[in-house]
Amino acid sequence: MFDKIDTIKTHLLRWSGVVVFLLLWEAAPRLGWLDAQFAPPFSTVLGAIHELAADGSLAKHLVISIWRGVTGLLVATLVAIPAGFLLGLRLPVWAAVLDPFLRVLSQVNPFSLMPVFILFFGIGETAKIVVIAWVSLWPILFYTITAVRNVDPLLLKTARSLGITTGELYLKVILPASLPVIFVGLRIGAGLVFFMIVAAEMLGANAGLGWLVHNSAMNYQTPRIYAGATFIVILGYLLNRFLLALERAFFSGEQEQVDLVPARRSSAPSWRPGWRSAAAAASVIFVFLLAGGREVYLSNLANASLGGHLGHQEEAGEANVEYTCPMHPFIVREKPDVCPLCGMRLVRKSDAAHGAGH
Amino acid sequence: MNTKDIIIRRIILLAIVLLAWETLPRLGVINPLFIPPLSGVITALRELAGNGEMATHAAISLQRAALGFAAGAVLGLPLGLVLGGWFPRLQTALEPLMELFAQANPLILFHVIILFLGIGEAAKTFIIGWLCLWPVTFATITGVRTADPTLLKAARSLGLGRAGLFVRVTLPAAAPSIVTGLRLAAGYAFIMLIAAEMMGASSGLGWLVIQAQESYHITRIFAGAFVITLLAITADWLLKLLGGRFLSRVESGADDYVRMQGSAGKI
Repeated sequence: MFDKIDTIKTHLLRWSGVVVFLLLWEAAPRLGWLDAQFAPPFSTVLGAIHELAADGSLAKHLVISIWRGVTGLLVATLVAIPAGFLLGLRLPVWAAVLDPFLRVLSQVNPFSLMPVFILFFGIGETAKIVVIAWVSLWPILFYTITAVRNVDPLLLKTARSLGITTGELYLKVILPASLPVIFVGLRIGAGLVFFMIVAAEMLGANAGLGWLVHNSAMNYQTPRIYAGATFIVILGYLLNRFLLALERAFFSGEQEQVDLVPARRSSAPSWRPGWRSAAAAASVIFVFLLAGGREVYLSNLANASLGGHLGHQEEAGEANVEYTCPMHPFIVREKPDVCPLCGMRLVRKSDAAHGAGH
Repeated sequence: MNTKDIIIRRIILLAIVLLAWETLPRLGVINPLFIPPLSGVITALRELAGNGEMATHAAISLQRAALGFAAGAVLGLPLGLVLGGWFPRLQTALEPLMELFAQANPLILFHVIILFLGIGEAAKTFIIGWLCLWPVTFATITGVRTADPTLLKAARSLGLGRAGLFVRVTLPAAAPSIVTGLRLAAGYAFIMLIAAEMMGASSGLGWLVIQAQESYHITRIFAGAFVITLLAITADWLLKLLGGRFLSRVESGADDYVRMQGSAGKI
């Protein structure tokens, strides 16, 4: 009983900071401490979120952003884990030889690579997914190499003396034993992914949460900037928490690991996932990938076909028609306007692209 | 397989990579418009270095990164020490808020910050400082929190006062974690600086790259990326060297990466 009250108290204490911050956010613009034009009160932002949620565009942006993230992470995982096994177990010498090269590659700034990726893959989905996969590749790869190398030798020897085949050794001994550490790599990769989605969507996209923020900023819809930003922050926080919880549920029993990961308090997990729930999770992800892919495809298609409908004004927020300056392509507006830098009339984005011969 | 062998193989591999970079675009295996041959990149580098452009932009970028990093470190260290060492309840109350703040990545922050600070240097310093603040704070809190209690008890029973305990025991015990936080922060500072300069600046390495992209100077993109990578690696190496004075041993290779990221697991 006292335990329960204590937990509630701790929770109240934990979240009191956030509550105070939100109250301040609401009060500061209302009392005139901050300019309400720049920092609209929290209730206005909630209103903007409600508006976005009501016309379904919030769900669309959310699904598209998450789809990009999951796809990129999946690609990185499919490359990095086999590569990590290969380098860590079969080619240890080459792992040592390649180490400085891999480290330099992992240090290459993803933003400075973005122009190169765009050259290779265009500004479509492929470039975004490649950038996202590239960023999350390195933590997963390095963690996998370290993990498979630090599997308890006693386990390996026991398994071998019991006459296990190499394939079985990998699947039944090394993979389960190294999974806790690999998972940490995955979690770090996922954190970076989330961050890169937003970046990639800002530099060229027509949907997604990053685009929502960027587009609102370009159109001076301040409450929407905050609405999009709030969603990105909450989503990132939940993702991190979810992966931490998953890690605890899966691996808290085998905390001995490699002593690379700081030990967490080892409370007994209430739920131990087995193969069945893993299969269920995999199928959920698969269905999501299909549905999300369809959404992304439709969104891109709608954007491309709008070139034909001249004079067709979209309602604000959906705004697939964009106008850009022929001289300053980074100036993008939703309505016909003049360029704030050179005063030229803005042209439709697709027309400008055709005119330049792309 | 001894170290010498590995080094020889590394050199051979490096030679092969550089040779491939030079010949494949020239032979047309890779489109030279996408990946220009190495010599072209070197020419661009020399050209940029020759007219002083590279030095100017690198200096500006370094100055911004250093200023933001210093601001983050100067605020984050005391914040972490105070919250971790003296006010555990306040830390509990602020933890979720700080985690949420740490999630507010500078790209979205950028649009909000320029509303308040304009598009000048203050905005960039703020963004980088903001990003550096959280890894440093979290790492410091973790370091102070995980200081060996036996050490603390022993020191206290030997009659060390509160201040002495803090300076002589807690701080050295937390040092490795703090160094890790600083290294993470420096890495972030660089990544974000480039992004910030790409989004709104008229100087700096990020601007150089985006400018090269807009005018299709592909060799310049690579030259810019090369210098950015070089600076990031040098900064990390310097901090590692500095950290080596506090740490019992300096790790290297994949294990070092894993240890660094893992010990700052939250961020």
